Amino acid sequence: MHNDNSNEYIPETYIPHVESNGTKEIWRTLIILSVLTVVDIVLYFSMPPLGGLRNITFIILGIVKAYYIVASFMHMKHEKIDLAACIIVPFLLVLGLVAGLLSEGSFWLAN
Amino acid sequence: MSTDTSATVSTKKTWSGGRSPFNVSYGKLMMWIFLLSDAFTFSSLLIGYGAVRFSYPVPPPMVEKLSPMSDLTQKYGHNFVEKMQEIGAFDESHWPAPELVFNHFPFLHGIHLPLMFVSLMTFILIFSSVTMVLAVEAGHRMDKKKVGIYMFYTILGGLAFLGCQAWEWTQFITEGATLSHNPFGPAHFAALFFIVTGFHGFHVFSGVVFNFLIYVNTKRGMYEKRGHYEMVEKVGLYWHFVDLVWVFVFTFFYLI
Repeated sequence: MHNDNSNEYIPETYIPHVESNGTKEIWRTLIILSVLTVVDIVLYFSMPPLGGLRNITFIILGIVKAYYIVASFMHMKHEKIDLAACIIVPFLLVLGLVAGLLSEGSFWLAN
Repeated sequence: MSTDTSATVSTKKTWSGGRSPFNVSYGKLMMWIFLLSDAFTFSSLLIGYGAVRFSYPVPPPMVEKLSPMSDLTQKYGHNFVEKMQEIGAFDESHWPAPELVFNHFPFLHGIHLPLMFVSLMTFILIFSSVTMVLAVEAGHRMDKKKVGIYMFYTILGGLAFLGCQAWEWTQFITEGATLSHNPFGPAHFAALFFIVTGFHGFHVFSGVVFNFLIYVNTKRGMYEKRGHYEMVEKVGLYWHFVDLVWVFVFTFFYLI
């Protein structure tokens, strides 16, 4: 493709050539996501109800699932670190905001 | 400025111009930035949800624990919600336990099946994400036929998910939930449910529309003529994002 010639780089039309990595990783991610979802449901019924530990377990499992979706399905693992950082670092700041606002949340409305 | 100097510099340094520093196309970078901004929107909805939710005390423990698969009609008659209000499991000053609200399954009326239907919806979205990656992978091999097949399955998955959500909303509304009132607990409970799952459902709907356009273009041979299937990847990113958001909607609305 003419796009691969770096001397003729045109930002608006540049498309890097991508080779297929096969389907093995896709099936592995499917199995991991399915198992984690089943673990969620099993824990829902087996853990003591409505404690802090229980909520943290579900949030951690959600973050692990998010990691596999972003890294594998959305191909972030194979992108350049520059791009990954541009997307993930701002979002980590928002997660900090979420944690902060939730821990203060009870004060806005309860009092 | 001589042209040959800039050519030598551009092949060596990432950020000195003359090449894509992220090594992705313009469109893909913009899709990522859009998804980041959309993630901010969903975060703000979840902050609102979390703040309201944690300002209510946890639901009172049930006197008698309901085991999954138990027959509700036999135990409580046809007015499960009213019975729950009578024993104090549903009242306006406590956030209701999700397992008592979302315990229905199509064709199995009156059986206590907490979370089974939303788990099914989760699996539908995971599977349609998988067919989407398979379409992207087929696109890398320039396999027009396979891209078409997998895009078709992805659209079916999206429609199945929307159908499930329509059923769940219908169930919820039939039991008396509106934006300003519901029989399960505080008015905020149903309002936040409708707004957050509705906003997510609208994303799924838009995703199905985009997937359909990609499917038609693939079938017409547009991407084959263009020489690459990058549009499938870009719309794929959006579709996976919809799945990603559902992971958190599932966690915060149904599990916690």
